[in-house]
Amino acid sequence: MRIREIWLKNFGRFCDRRIVLHDGIQLFYGENEAGKSTIHTFIKGMLFGMERKRGRFAATDESHIYEPWDNPNYYAGTLRFESGGKIFCLQRSFEKSGKNTKLFCEDDGEEFSVENKDLDMLLDGLSVSSYENTISCGQLKVTPDASLGMALRNYATNACAQDKGDIDLNAALARLKDRKRDVERKIKTCLDERQKKQEVTEQEASFVWADIHKCTEQLNQIKEELAIRDAEVKEKGKLPEKDTEASSEWRIHPIELVGLLFLIVLPLFLVSRPWNYLMAIIIFLCALIYTWNRMKVSKQQEKTEPEILLEEICPEEEKVSREELIWEQNRVSGELKEKKTQYENLKEQLEDLDITDDILTSLQQTREAISLACAKLESLSRELRKQTDQMLNGRVSEIVCAFTGGKYERLFVQGDNQISLLTEGRKIRIEQVSRGTAEQIYLALRIAAAEFLYEEEFPLILDDTFGFYDEKRLENTLKWLAENKKQVFIFTCQKREEETLQKLDIPYTMTIV
Amino acid sequence: MDLLLIAGDLFHRQPLLRELKEVRYLFEKLTVTQVVLIAGNHDYMKSDSYYRTFRWPEHVHMLTGETMQIIDFPNIHTSVCGCSYHTREKKEKLDIKSLKKGQEPFEILLLHGGDESHIPFTKEDLIKADFDYTALGHIHKPQIIIEGKAAYSGALEPIDKNDVGAHGYITGEITERGCNIRFVPVNKRSYIHKEMKVTPEFTENKLREEIENYIQRNGNEHFYKFILNGFRDPDISFDSVENYFDLRNTYTHRSSENQKRNILEIVDETQPSYDFAKLKEQHEDDILGAFIEAFSEYPSDSMEHRALCEGVQAMMDTRKG
Repeated sequence: MRIREIWLKNFGRFCDRRIVLHDGIQLFYGENEAGKSTIHTFIKGMLFGMERKRGRFAATDESHIYEPWDNPNYYAGTLRFESGGKIFCLQRSFEKSGKNTKLFCEDDGEEFSVENKDLDMLLDGLSVSSYENTISCGQLKVTPDASLGMALRNYATNACAQDKGDIDLNAALARLKDRKRDVERKIKTCLDERQKKQEVTEQEASFVWADIHKCTEQLNQIKEELAIRDAEVKEKGKLPEKDTEASSEWRIHPIELVGLLFLIVLPLFLVSRPWNYLMAIIIFLCALIYTWNRMKVSKQQEKTEPEILLEEICPEEEKVSREELIWEQNRVSGELKEKKTQYENLKEQLEDLDITDDILTSLQQTREAISLACAKLESLSRELRKQTDQMLNGRVSEIVCAFTGGKYERLFVQGDNQISLLTEGRKIRIEQVSRGTAEQIYLALRIAAAEFLYEEEFPLILDDTFGFYDEKRLENTLKWLAENKKQVFIFTCQKREEETLQKLDIPYTMTIV
Repeated sequence: MDLLLIAGDLFHRQPLLRELKEVRYLFEKLTVTQVVLIAGNHDYMKSDSYYRTFRWPEHVHMLTGETMQIIDFPNIHTSVCGCSYHTREKKEKLDIKSLKKGQEPFEILLLHGGDESHIPFTKEDLIKADFDYTALGHIHKPQIIIEGKAAYSGALEPIDKNDVGAHGYITGEITERGCNIRFVPVNKRSYIHKEMKVTPEFTENKLREEIENYIQRNGNEHFYKFILNGFRDPDISFDSVENYFDLRNTYTHRSSENQKRNILEIVDETQPSYDFAKLKEQHEDDILGAFIEAFSEYPSDSMEHRALCEGVQAMMDTRKG
């Protein structure tokens, strides 16, 4: 791209100022305050527009600073440039009331829409920040040291290696990491689900296990009980006769009963009427009480001491019959077997759960694929960075060599944060070079970075860049620029650039601002 | 029906007593049919298995021996030969010499297994053994091994999410003219794996509709797994379709609408419709080109190819401007 004409219709101090620009070196000479920076800003504003800030920022924004001195309601300009062999005309107005931008091709009259990024396309994706970092070159703002040198180099390398074309490596890596996280979340849900299933099964198994335990205990109890019973039966087998004797024994002896009857009948004969009846009834009642008392006594005696003791220990079960116990034993052992089988089945089920399912496998594969893609991208980017680094170093070396008349032949990068220069067979660190040399390296880096980043060659804009250059270096630099660059704008407040150009017989166009 | 043959694995694990009682209850409903069953590798005759002590009704005959046993049914002129598993696996090949023939004119073999750790045998073995019919068990999928001679009946209902296709039983008749068999599908529900060819015209909504329509056509009672393949528009991701059908949730947490649908899984095997060769050409000197170059030699089912798709997708999605 080459700028053909700038037309400051109403911009800053300028009103209807047209500057036609040619190929080669374009010198803008002006004293301080003449408006060189205004032209500089105008070019930037035309290419990228100007943001109008609000509130307290308004005082410092460029749009505000360069508001026309006269008639601020009319704030506009036109820029004509050549790109791809065609001339384009870009018109902008920067008024408060509304911005208006028009872009059309002068050769075929085709209209373009700036909103639709047609301009970005013509500019080969050049952004404001890239513009300021590469082709628009002011003076170095800080004294150079290692960190600055490193920052510059890193900037250039990163810009070239990663942002070439439309690929945004960091964004792509971030996207991949997002996706990986997503897949990992899915894997986790899968595993959690399986874990839950396992826990449910394990819990079930533990319940069954508890049942088994209970059944075993019950069974043991029944067995013990049966053993006791058996022992008892044996023991009792020795004294069954006594037992039956005791039960068959009369509680009241029959002779006693006969005696009692005799006693009741006796008064009937001995005592005269009517008292004998009364006597008989009284004696009968007495006999009745005696008999009843005797019955009660023998009832209490029926139970032996050990029997009472046993009754206290297990009052209920003693009454359960042996058959019932055996039946219970069979039932419990049946249940125990059932439970054991169930437990074994659950254990098998748990083993089966460990076999991985295909959803999980495919998710894990996806995760692996993403990791692989990430790793490859990172290694490629390192490689590419290294490559670009070398190429950039080579180009920077070349340019620095030309600027310094061969004094510094090569630029080296050592380790991570050290830049050295090779001069007359000696290596010196960047901290050791003079301000002027640092400025030259800085310019060389910018030129090299612009060359790497954009296929299209943009005009190089140098704003008071040569202040620290000595005569010799200035000559070398101007010569190199005239030979290698199609269009260079040099803004200066000194006469030395023009004198040098005349001395070297380099064609240039002079514009006095 | 004269004879009901069960070629093992009547149960998936050791049967519980109450389960056997249920089966017995069902068998008792049979009035004329004789039942012959064997134990398979899942319900093998473990030392404490209920099979060993359970009392079957008169007409149910379990061949519990580890070696081949014969049972004759004179009234239907048929002998059945078979054996049960006493261990979980049986790696020895089928020994044709061990097979016995009974007294009756029609010979049936009841055999469970067929893979390398469960009585391996080949079709030729079965032909050589020369039974009128061989009832095979172990494999869930019904399949006829020798036409009219040997068949796996498969499970009556699909019991695993990979048991796709129809399920049922084999019915047949043996006469002097030979054996005639026929598969009878009876399964009430199926697992359906549906491959869906995606084209770059597919959007998420279109895919969703296709899935819904497919299910509507085939019935809500089945279980579906959709496998998407083909080339999709690189700008479109089908992830949200999974969310739409609540697939991330367990079945019980799905909306009632989606519970009805029974979608088990949607597998996305689609590839973004990038022309890798062309992309590589366009991005010859940047990292995308180098990336495609690094993975270009791998087949499309490799991990590297998946990495390629993922990486290119990420780079193309995050392009500047």
